[in-house]
Amino acid sequence: MLKPSGAALPPRHDPDPVMVPVMDVTLDRRGLIAGVVFSLLLTLAVYLGSQRFHGFDGALAGYCFATVFALFGVVYRYAVWLQRPATRVYWKRGWELFWQPGQRLRNTLLFFKMGWEKMLEQRFIRKRSRDRWLAHQLIFWGCVIAILITFPLTFGWLRFESDFTHPSNYLVVLFGQRLEFFTFPARGVIGWLFMHGLNIAAVLCLAGISLAVGRRVKDEAEISTQRFDNDIMPLVLLFAVSVTGMMLTVSNMFLEGKFYYWITTTHAVTVMLWLLYLPFGKFFHIFQRIANVGVWFYKAAGANGPQAECARCGEAYTSAMQREDLKAILPDLGFDYRNNEQAVDNWQNLCPGCRRKLMTLNQFRVTGKEFM
Amino acid sequence: MARPPLSREEFLQEFGPTLHYAPPGGFRTVDDDAALVDTHCCFCGQQCGIRLKVKDNAVVGFEPRYEFPFNKGKLCPKGIKRYLQGSHPDRLLHPMRRTPDGYERVTWDEALSETVSKIREIQAKYGKDSFAMLSGVSLTNEKSYLVGKFARVALQTANLDYNGRLCMVSAGAGNKKAYGIDRASNAWDDIPRAKVIFAIGTNIAECFPITTDYIWRARDAGARLIYADPRMVPMARTADLFLPLRIGSDSALLMGMLHVIIRDGLTDEAFIQAHTVGFDDVRAAVSHATPEWAAEITGVPAEKIELAARWYGEAETGFILHARGLEHQTKGVENVMSCANLALATGKIGREGCGHSTITGQGNGQGGREHGHKCDQLPGNRDITNPEHRRYICDVWGLPEEELPGKGLTAQEILNAIHAGEIKGLLSICFNPLVSLPDANFNREALNKLEHYSVIDFFLSETAEHADIVLPGSLHEEDEGTSTSGEGRVIKINAPVTPPGEARRDWEILLDIAQRLGRGRYFQYGSTQEIFNELRLASRGGTADYSGITWEKVVNNQGVFWPCPQVTERGNTTMHIEELDSVHPGTPRLFEGGQFYFPDGRARFNVVKWRESAEVVDDEYPVWFTTGRVVSQYLSGTQTRRIGPLVDQFPHPKLELHPRLARQLGIQTDDWVTVTSRRGQVTIQANVVNTIRPDTVFMAYHWGGRQSANLLTQRALDPISKIPEFKVSTCQVRLATPEEIVEGENARRLSAVTEKNLPAGYGLNARRQELRR
Amino acid sequence: MSEMRFFVDPVRCIGCKACMQGCSECATHRGKSMIHLEYIERGTSTQTAPMVCMHCDLPTCAAVCPADAIKRTEDGIVQSSQAPRCIGCSNCVNACPFGVPRYYPEIDQMLKCDMCYDRTSLGKKPMCASVCPSEALFYGTLEEFQSRRQGTPSNTFQFGAQTITTKVFLVLPAGDVGLNMDVLSHMDARFEPDAFDHLDPFAHLEPLPMGEHL
Repeated sequence: MLKPSGAALPPRHDPDPVMVPVMDVTLDRRGLIAGVVFSLLLTLAVYLGSQRFHGFDGALAGYCFATVFALFGVVYRYAVWLQRPATRVYWKRGWELFWQPGQRLRNTLLFFKMGWEKMLEQRFIRKRSRDRWLAHQLIFWGCVIAILITFPLTFGWLRFESDFTHPSNYLVVLFGQRLEFFTFPARGVIGWLFMHGLNIAAVLCLAGISLAVGRRVKDEAEISTQRFDNDIMPLVLLFAVSVTGMMLTVSNMFLEGKFYYWITTTHAVTVMLWLLYLPFGKFFHIFQRIANVGVWFYKAAGANGPQAECARCGEAYTSAMQREDLKAILPDLGFDYRNNEQAVDNWQNLCPGCRRKLMTLNQFRVTGKEFM
Repeated sequence: MARPPLSREEFLQEFGPTLHYAPPGGFRTVDDDAALVDTHCCFCGQQCGIRLKVKDNAVVGFEPRYEFPFNKGKLCPKGIKRYLQGSHPDRLLHPMRRTPDGYERVTWDEALSETVSKIREIQAKYGKDSFAMLSGVSLTNEKSYLVGKFARVALQTANLDYNGRLCMVSAGAGNKKAYGIDRASNAWDDIPRAKVIFAIGTNIAECFPITTDYIWRARDAGARLIYADPRMVPMARTADLFLPLRIGSDSALLMGMLHVIIRDGLTDEAFIQAHTVGFDDVRAAVSHATPEWAAEITGVPAEKIELAARWYGEAETGFILHARGLEHQTKGVENVMSCANLALATGKIGREGCGHSTITGQGNGQGGREHGHKCDQLPGNRDITNPEHRRYICDVWGLPEEELPGKGLTAQEILNAIHAGEIKGLLSICFNPLVSLPDANFNREALNKLEHYSVIDFFLSETAEHADIVLPGSLHEEDEGTSTSGEGRVIKINAPVTPPGEARRDWEILLDIAQRLGRGRYFQYGSTQEIFNELRLASRGGTADYSGITWEKVVNNQGVFWPCPQVTERGNTTMHIEELDSVHPGTPRLFEGGQFYFPDGRARFNVVKWRESAEVVDDEYPVWFTTGRVVSQYLSGTQTRRIGPLVDQFPHPKLELHPRLARQLGIQTDDWVTVTSRRGQVTIQANVVNTIRPDTVFMAYHWGGRQSANLLTQRALDPISKIPEFKVSTCQVRLATPEEIVEGENARRLSAVTEKNLPAGYGLNARRQELRR
Repeated sequence: MSEMRFFVDPVRCIGCKACMQGCSECATHRGKSMIHLEYIERGTSTQTAPMVCMHCDLPTCAAVCPADAIKRTEDGIVQSSQAPRCIGCSNCVNACPFGVPRYYPEIDQMLKCDMCYDRTSLGKKPMCASVCPSEALFYGTLEEFQSRRQGTPSNTFQFGAQTITTKVFLVLPAGDVGLNMDVLSHMDARFEPDAFDHLDPFAHLEPLPMGEHL
């Protein structure tokens, strides 16, 4: 059984920020290092995977650079995010609980189960609203398919070549290895799927986008809270990427290559914008969502351990671990709910219900009436 | 023998109550295209304005109606969730005939033919009056008027009465005796202008919630609130003076107060001289009623009674509000007259900030009691025994006067007569007597004795389960018309949707029956507005004069206060509806200038002598038992017990008792207890609260079957108003035996079934928990 | 026109739960209520405690959120959790000094009152304050409040060492500014049977008779 962790977390220690010359900006040192390391690793992987750029398609170099930069951005922001007091607690505790001796195999299985439910199936969205879930799944799988196809291609890890023995057949070249057993006719089903994989992805995305836009245009609550940069921009970018991508096929198949150059350029620009938006905009929630799995471990462990009881009514309302972790980070965040009174030495020792009632009770106290 | 053909389980599965949660089509985040229709809530006499969202001929939600002057958007939980009564899985959609093993679907023609042939058969065999009709005041004014005419002209029976008999009749009779008219004395706008508000026998917060705002506005302007109730109800909690009187002792308290007012010279002698009759007799009658004497009876300390009397007497303006607490008694009329005596003695009536009003319990409690579906009444609040009144109404109806029946039996008396075998047939609409009348076991026996029973209803209520023919009628939002709110404001009900399935509008059903009874010539209406126009003419010259009111005027003015009589010579004499004028602006405040509705214009003091209730505590039944409402339920619950979120607020009745009594009986909160009276017994869970007198227990009355508070109440009636004494009975309380607990849990299980296919992510159990806290 | 404000006056609350039912009718809530209303202790009183989000100037909930899911907009409204971000950890539920946020396990998300942003941003009243029969929840300008109500609206709360200021006002007796959120005076032996005898409105009544059935 997963057990909560009783030990206090090690104190935080923030490295000095890094000054960026000329631009008068500081960068987080950990984020910078992590970002650079991951970017270099990816570059190295591209270098090796494309047999020292032998298989690298120069026409796709722009995409590759943008991807490496996007990776830097995502890793940088993730590292900075993990240093926020509350996030750090879940990050540290999550791994601590995950590596708990005797639980590791079970935890790993659970990790995959949760990963499926929360990251791929996105069951929680379905519970919130079916329409929303459908839109989200369409966009999600559209993007996943597109990434699975395009990233290996731009990195030079994957390409297709004609089969010498059957010229009408293609065969897959992965990391420079010709997979002789994996040949398929260009005009067959597999060939069609490979040819049009990106178009399928685009159609999925466009369907999802139209559902999402429909909601954003009509739903009163969405209209009142949505912001262009956060909520509309991602849809616009995805739309642009999908449409320009499909126009490449249209140009190729029906317009005898008319406007092809112009369209490739536009498509490249939209894709790069999308990649650069990834770390900063709404899409970052994709990476944040992984924390949901950590939270699941945290809650499951907390439920198996001692519970925090309310100092007023005595009801257990959360895990002792969570209450203590919270009380530990509040000073870091600039809050001090401590109290000199002995019985309740911290407002954070009360259950939410008593906190609510205490507002009314205190209002009543100052009115000085006889009966409540 | 009109016995229900199915077991409780089978009824539950087939007809509910099903707890309905989600609007048709599920919760929609996007509600474009939904039309908004202004109408009113149907769940109490305040008749709050409400705006219903309508889509595809279904009501799908609500919006506050800020423009309506009475409530300005405010609503209680019933109003908010009222829309869930539409598109309900339990809704009756086609006529049914009872068979030995259930109900079979029949055509309208078959159903109505059978009803009509039974009416004919029973009336031929036992006489006209052996077929009775019961009606209700959730009906609009138009339908109330129509039912009155239908029973007298089409059924030709004297025995027509209505469920207002369990509601406002004591106030009606008391008001008529004191002021000569039966209406709240003021529009509610006068409440904030009062300097003292005296509320007695009324749980305003739960039964008339929007009125709390009027009272708070008065208090913000410096008014004092005096609250007399055996329970410390939510408004009593904050009152400036709380008088925790013993149930049934209201008139003693009021006599004691009047005694102090006279003793301390707080009477308004000029007003008494100029505008009243009979004060000397009242003065003599209360001469012995010292505060100490009243304290002995009521259990309220004498000094508090003195204080209340002085506060009320000394204040420049004052308002008395009361409701069923003092009206649901064998002394109901006397209690109301005692309040009137207080108001008249201090001259606190007929001017700004002064008044005396009852709080109507039922939707159209005010309007429904004016237009002739009481057993002794004709439209315009006319008297069915008065030859002049009879003649006028017969002229309007074109009916030979000898064909108009006389005075009939009142609601409980009709059930008594059924039990005694004197009444053999029944047609009912909008009434669930098995839950709402006292002594439910007796009434069940009575219903089982009927030779024929036809019911018009939209859900199969507990009473309707006994019916031979079930005729699916219309909901509030499926028919238009007017109703009259507790403050006397006539308002317009709109119909955003049409009845579903084969269900028909109530008035169309009645017209069809009248036609088949060969009386169709008296019922030539093409619309409810035509019925209203005839009502205008019929009410002209009566005390409840609607003749100057038109639907257009009601809509344009956001309601019109009656009396709204004719002002022209022509209007006063014509028998043509189109010649009636609509000039009169209506009368928000009655009795201005001390003008009362008696021929001499003077109000009447009425002598009230102290007497005990029909049942008082003794060694065998040592605990007082009283009943009342909870805010989330309405009357017998036919509608509100089917609305999930409302039921979740208060899912089952509980017995409220004081910790002192509880300790003596060894009872703790949530223990199962058995309450026994001379009529029956109920096993429910206890709620130990120190907000009730230690000698009294309380139970809410909205439930049927084995959870019904009315298994315990008694059929004692007020001699004048014939209101049953719901509020005063005696009982024993003890911990339940294991067998009784099983029965109690069974009753709870069978009280409702939850709707299937709730939307994903609704989280039913958590929602229930939140609402119950 | 001056700014619209929200006022809470629990003493007036009649416990009818119109606010909860109204809140659950909001198009976006799908039957769930964001407002809380519960009895303080039904055994001793009918007093109920209504609780909307107070919309703190420095929201604790947002600070303890690991996922940046709670944002305070420029107009001072602390928004409900952003659906894509909320990871359902309940930190906000446990940290909010007023006990406002609620975690919904069925959708693995925290939802809280956003002062009906879909309504108030269009100039409409929030649902709860629209329907509240006793105006325990009141939405209007300060002038409107002062023209019809007594008491001093206050938005400063002292929780031990922590001062919290809010967008929503609590109504205090005239002249009082700021409320010290005291716990100790509300701890009095809540679960002992005689604890509330001194609060019994019926304490003056004669002892009950003793008999066979009593």
